[in-house]
Amino acid sequence: MPSFNVQTPLKWVDERLGTASTARTAFRKVFPDQWTFLIGEIALFSLVVLVLSGTFLTLFFVPSSAEVVYDGPYQPLQGQEVSAAFDSVMRLSFEVRAGLLMRQLHHWAALVFVASIVIHLCRIFFTGAYRRPRELNYLLGMVLLFVALGEGFTGYSLPDDLLSGIGLRIAYSVSLAIPLVGTWLTFLVFGGEFPTTDLISRFFVFHVMLLPAILLAGVFVHMGILVLQKHTQFAGPRRTERNVVGKRLWPEQTFKSTGLFMLVAAVLAALGGLAQINPIWEYGPYNPFSVTAPAQPDWYIGWLDGALRLGGPWDVALPGGFLISELFWPAVLFPGIALGIVTMWPWIEPLFTGERAEHHILERPRDAPFRTATGVGGLTLFFILFLEGGNDVMGVLLDVPVEVITRILQVAFVVAPLVAWVITYRICLNLQATQMHPAEPAPGELLRRTPSGGYETVPLDQIV
Amino acid sequence: MSIRQRPPGENVGDAVTPPEQPPTHEQRRAERAIAVSFAVSALAGLGLFVVYLAGGQTQIEGVLLALALGGLGVGIAVWGEELLDAREVVEDRHELSSGAEARVALGAALAEEAGSNLRRRSFLVKMLLAAGAAFAAALALPVISLGPAPGRSLKETSWKAGTRLVRQNGEPIRADDLVLDQVLSVLPEGHLKAADSVALLIRVPAGQLAIPAERAAATVDGVVCYSKICTHAGCPVGLYKAAEHTLFCPCHQSQFNVLEGCKPIFGPAARPLPQLPLAVDAAGYLYATGDFFEPVGPAFWDRNRT
Repeated sequence: MPSFNVQTPLKWVDERLGTASTARTAFRKVFPDQWTFLIGEIALFSLVVLVLSGTFLTLFFVPSSAEVVYDGPYQPLQGQEVSAAFDSVMRLSFEVRAGLLMRQLHHWAALVFVASIVIHLCRIFFTGAYRRPRELNYLLGMVLLFVALGEGFTGYSLPDDLLSGIGLRIAYSVSLAIPLVGTWLTFLVFGGEFPTTDLISRFFVFHVMLLPAILLAGVFVHMGILVLQKHTQFAGPRRTERNVVGKRLWPEQTFKSTGLFMLVAAVLAALGGLAQINPIWEYGPYNPFSVTAPAQPDWYIGWLDGALRLGGPWDVALPGGFLISELFWPAVLFPGIALGIVTMWPWIEPLFTGERAEHHILERPRDAPFRTATGVGGLTLFFILFLEGGNDVMGVLLDVPVEVITRILQVAFVVAPLVAWVITYRICLNLQATQMHPAEPAPGELLRRTPSGGYETVPLDQIV
Repeated sequence: MSIRQRPPGENVGDAVTPPEQPPTHEQRRAERAIAVSFAVSALAGLGLFVVYLAGGQTQIEGVLLALALGGLGVGIAVWGEELLDAREVVEDRHELSSGAEARVALGAALAEEAGSNLRRRSFLVKMLLAAGAAFAAALALPVISLGPAPGRSLKETSWKAGTRLVRQNGEPIRADDLVLDQVLSVLPEGHLKAADSVALLIRVPAGQLAIPAERAAATVDGVVCYSKICTHAGCPVGLYKAAEHTLFCPCHQSQFNVLEGCKPIFGPAARPLPQLPLAVDAAGYLYATGDFFEPVGPAFWDRNRT
């Protein structure tokens, strides 16, 4: 029996593309062994699941708002006028074998995708991984986050159910609130006054072509820059600013990452099969005269919806018959400033700290109290808005009028981030004062028995 | 827990493959676990076939798919953790920058090869830039095709003087169809799809309406009509609390006092729901005597320009 010789395919490829030495270098890339570094990988693997499941959905989805009469197996909607888009999603859910699994898998993967990006961002932020020379990759990562949010919102809108239609209605209103150009811009994006017939086909093109193209190209560059600049690492034995200590891509990291990919996909498959999400047949088709209550967006839009609820009736009439909408402050200005600060943070922080040197060793959050406190304050701000986004649900659960919840959270929006800032800052200083430091080797030596029966001591920082 | 000693400062580059050693107890256990994981995965994969061919069932499909993927994942992960002779290696980090010398050389190469040529022909360069700018503008032009000019579309609805009020099924409405505190969604006759024209018809106690005289004149015996589109973010204002005579928007909890011209009393909405002027024809049917008093829906830049 002829045995397989790995040299045969390698030779064939190398003689044509000359890639053997590059591949050799690539497989030797060193990955620091740190679990928080895997969060970005979870985002990447969710994206793979999204592309695969999304491709399946694309084969059945009809991006059209043309009216058809629903005539499928779901009795309560039979005979109702629905859009062709809604009809096709109903067909996917009830008639296409494994269609509902794919739909729910896709939706769950989208939620996990954005969540892992946000947690990855937090890891990068709180350890100072964005510092020189990684500012550009941070900026690109933020762009990818925004594109991911765009993907999420356009995808959420495609089934043309009552809930997504209301989401679109609100997005349209926010877009109108942009001063000076809002009306024109909105009419260009939506194709006229809401609701328009072009919307679904347009959002479909955004969702399955334009945004994924940007996303995939961006992820490719994001990882390319990572390889060029090599990983950061936490301080530890043998680790310096001049090296990277860890395991090689082949075989250790390949096994770890492949296993992680399968496990991420497995969790998403279990969620897709067992945890119902976006049951559009319960919301019904969109019609502009109806509304569901309570109406909640996907989690990553929750803070923005919360900002809309938290805002006051502050429209400003300008001379000449012009008007600044009350939506402008919470839904245009606040997100613009808040996300702008997050995006530009690698350039903002040095203004306060004067620190502009190159860094490859990560900082523990406690060692950068200003950054950590500012980050926690910012997260508190978003969390208050997120809570307000569920004020109606909380009102029912806690048996408190929504008016009271809104008033409390309006105060908390101003006070809580400041309190969180001060508390975090003090915790950081206190942790520093304890002198206990997870990144420093523990003092002392280990006494242990040798195979020959004697004893030897090993410094604790030499133990792997 | 295995503790391995490593001489300090050792730079493990290409480590030599260690001589084959008999597997330890832990390794045997890991091997068994991996074999079981892969077996679970294979069985779940086969199960998927069966379920699919039998007609499919979402929950079972999800569990089987999760088992198929999870079995592979656990097996591969355990293999990587327990059976690979994992070695921590140190890789040197190289200077990212190519250095000043390389940059100077690059600059010189760019300048030598074309720079002086471009400098000598500055007029042509300017022309090239002008042509490029004009071309970019021409490329951007088709963007205008994406939407119509807003014009007056946000300021006007389908209501005209004389348009009868109809239910969503097209039936006209008499003022006395409504009992006290009843609410009805109404549309202009002949425009049942006009999203911006939907309105709420409400009967309130006639004497309690506290609105200016010309607005009061546009009601019929306590039957008053307001736009159903929230002036905040455009949701349909769906809930009427009859006891308090308030309308409540479920999206962002704006509340409007119906007796006081639907002025906002709580929440983020800043402007009242616009009122639709009503009258009754000879046959007793309600009709509009004109469009809403103000533009309906959320604010926009030139809303208050006539």
